[in-house]
Amino acid sequence: MKEFSADRLEKLLDTVLKPSRYTGGEMNAVAKPFDQAEITFAFCFPDSYEVGMSHLGIKILYDIINRQPWALCERVFTPWPDMADAMRAENLPLFSLESRTPLRNFDIVGFTLQYEMCYTNVLEMLDLSDIPLFSKDRTDGPIIMAGGPCAYNPEPLAPFVDVFQIGDGEEMMVEVIACMRACKKAGCSRLDTLRALAKIEGVYVPAFYKPSYNADGTLASFAPTDPAAPATVRRRVLLDLDSAAYPEAFVVPYTEAIHDRIVLEIMRGCTKGCRFCQAGMLYRPVRERSVETLLRQAEQLENATGYEEMSLSSLSSGDYTHLTELVCALTERYGERKISVSLPSMRIDSIVKQSLEEAQKVRKSGLTLAPEAGTQRMRDVINKGVTEEDLIRAVTDAFTSGWSTVKLYFMIGLPTETDEDLAGIGHLAQDVINAYFTVPRGMRAKGLRVTCSASTFVPKPFTPFQWQGQDDLPTIREKQAKLGDILRQVKGVNFNWHEPELSMLEATFARGDRRMGDVLYAAWKNGCRMDGWTEFLNYDGWMKAFEDCGIDPKFYANRERGEKELLPWDFIDAGVTRAFLWREWQRAQRGEVTPDCRKGCQGCGLKRFEGVCVDR
Amino acid sequence: MKMLVIFEKTDRVRHVGHLDLMRAMQRALRRSGVPIAFSKGFNPHLLLNFAAPLPVGTSGRREIMEVSLSEEISETEFKEKLRAALPPELPCVAVRAVDDRHPAPMALLFAASYQITIPEGAAPLLAAVPSFMAKDSIMALRKTKSGEKLTDIRPMIYDLQVTGDHQLSCTLALCEAATCKPELLLDALSAEAGLEARPRALCVRTQLLGRDFTPLELL
Ligand code: SF4
Repeated sequence: MKEFSADRLEKLLDTVLKPSRYTGGEMNAVAKPFDQAEITFAFCFPDSYEVGMSHLGIKILYDIINRQPWALCERVFTPWPDMADAMRAENLPLFSLESRTPLRNFDIVGFTLQYEMCYTNVLEMLDLSDIPLFSKDRTDGPIIMAGGPCAYNPEPLAPFVDVFQIGDGEEMMVEVIACMRACKKAGCSRLDTLRALAKIEGVYVPAFYKPSYNADGTLASFAPTDPAAPATVRRRVLLDLDSAAYPEAFVVPYTEAIHDRIVLEIMRGCTKGCRFCQAGMLYRPVRERSVETLLRQAEQLENATGYEEMSLSSLSSGDYTHLTELVCALTERYGERKISVSLPSMRIDSIVKQSLEEAQKVRKSGLTLAPEAGTQRMRDVINKGVTEEDLIRAVTDAFTSGWSTVKLYFMIGLPTETDEDLAGIGHLAQDVINAYFTVPRGMRAKGLRVTCSASTFVPKPFTPFQWQGQDDLPTIREKQAKLGDILRQVKGVNFNWHEPELSMLEATFARGDRRMGDVLYAAWKNGCRMDGWTEFLNYDGWMKAFEDCGIDPKFYANRERGEKELLPWDFIDAGVTRAFLWREWQRAQRGEVTPDCRKGCQGCGLKRFEGVCVDR
Repeated sequence: MKMLVIFEKTDRVRHVGHLDLMRAMQRALRRSGVPIAFSKGFNPHLLLNFAAPLPVGTSGRREIMEVSLSEEISETEFKEKLRAALPPELPCVAVRAVDDRHPAPMALLFAASYQITIPEGAAPLLAAVPSFMAKDSIMALRKTKSGEKLTDIRPMIYDLQVTGDHQLSCTLALCEAATCKPELLLDALSAEAGLEARPRALCVRTQLLGRDFTPLELL
């Protein structure tokens, strides 16, 4: 077993890149005596410090666990590969930032899964901790947990994780750690502890379920093998966001994180019903925080952090009922104190001109818009309820108010896409440029910059597109080349795209089953880690892993699923029903739009949860 | 008025670079609620001056920054407020109120004392100290803004002593006209000891000094 030693760590720190990633000691980091806590939780973000420290979920749960006087939560991030290698060479185990305790000494090691391409980092972190990777090989030591949006299809990680938490974590996390505490006190065995945990709503213990497969490789059945395990795992829904716990202080990193600022979660959930968007389906229904609560949280956080910037977070901030009131109040309070307020992920159909003008009083950052597709037909298929008129009105308003940098996000490879839809992206970009020149010279800011970014569509579980096959690599490359040619003809547009290989791997895991765990293990063995970073993506290592496991990535990424096929995540009740998703899939193929359910319930299934989605 | 803040950068955060440290201090000052003065102009920032940036990897026991204030405040109140707002790894040791005409700390700086710990392979280095200090001139390659320059660093070494089995302490020039970094001293000392490369060392800047080796904060 590797032992931790501060001396050896100091030695490594003098040789690695960005050593401050590993030293902790930041403002507001919780310092509780490790030995006195009844339950210790190592909160692991399977990516670099800078990425992890930008994430809101970790801040919320870190706060919630540490609020319990008997529990302690400390942070762990994936060491950058230079550090990971140095730690192996020095026999130094992975440790938490706060008390520098090796992970294997915690009661719980919990991972948040924000994107599929962090899965190898989960294995890397367990291995660096001397914790056996496979759940079946662990007889003692910490219980390995995972949560976050990717936990909605937990199967690819099922061989490695003991307990998944599915849904909103605020209440579930407290129940989980309280249950662990009781089990520990009672001296329960590992098996009995898992049984007790499996009874908590939202908890999934993969060891208690068994899949079987048809001859064609599709799933034949999936059923519990232990009486403690429910046949259907129902996702947790937090009913009252306004009174839910929210951190009064954020840990303030020394080295700059990607998002290093106050974040106010103004609302959770989205009712737009974009058919490609997993978050839009998973976080239903919409729950808002009141302006009063948000102003109080802003004040507490400002006093506790000293940040110069504040941002509003939600899936579609433009839909927040009291947006204008909130933005006005924030700019009025904080403009004086030189704190800027920014509104990310604004949706072009809901930009409030007044808010734009308010926000701009403090700071003018680039405007980001996501039309997602180039033609109205394609936008109807994906149910992106935005017209070209909306878009042009929004950018014209922005140009008139002094913006000159616009980023446009598109997806390629969407269901039913044709060349015409690609050409439409070019037209839209041209129209945005024309809109800039219609604003009189004196009124518009100088230096127009338009960037078009095209990502590759990845079909995700619990979306109407969960049945759709992803375009294969040659098709995606061809489309990217075509789009490149089209945009080259539009003067003044920058074009960038995502690695199609990465999107393909993402697709295999997004809709993978348990057998993808073998591929994951083999890929990690082949040296794959930090896959989300272009410089580390080892595509050959991945292809070799598929080959060695005798698994065809196309089976997961490119195959269209039928109406009757049992999907690996069907045993989870995520709120939206399979019937609703199928109906939406059919409508998509007919190009029929489904209106925002704020204007009338579309029967997605959330109403089955008591107290959820009361009609306004 | 201005306030001189004497603070520590602990060993744990020794890798925090100067820009990051400055940002941490700015945020601490914002949190503290002390009446800080902002610069005028388009992009206002806090008026904050450090005596001397600490290199990445070096900790400091009595570092100095000067904060310009927009209103009068007592030393006690300032210290209390700042102390509450600083991260535990950047504790405030003392403060001293000075008037606006007091020269910037950087202008008063003359030298600094360091404590250097050499965990492994210290013996030959420590043994070479007497002969090293007996020299009249020590030529070393010094990095300057215009490139590398062969300089006599002997006049910049005011003091060098063995203070333990693995430890040296020294006082080196640190001002605009001449600066000798501890690494440079170690390189030269390693050469004197016949070592190919300098061994790994942990440096702590223990005191910033003004003329006549008076602690800078007292000037
Ligand atoms: S139940 Fe109806 S109102 Fe609620 S999220 Fe679903 S579609 Fe919208």
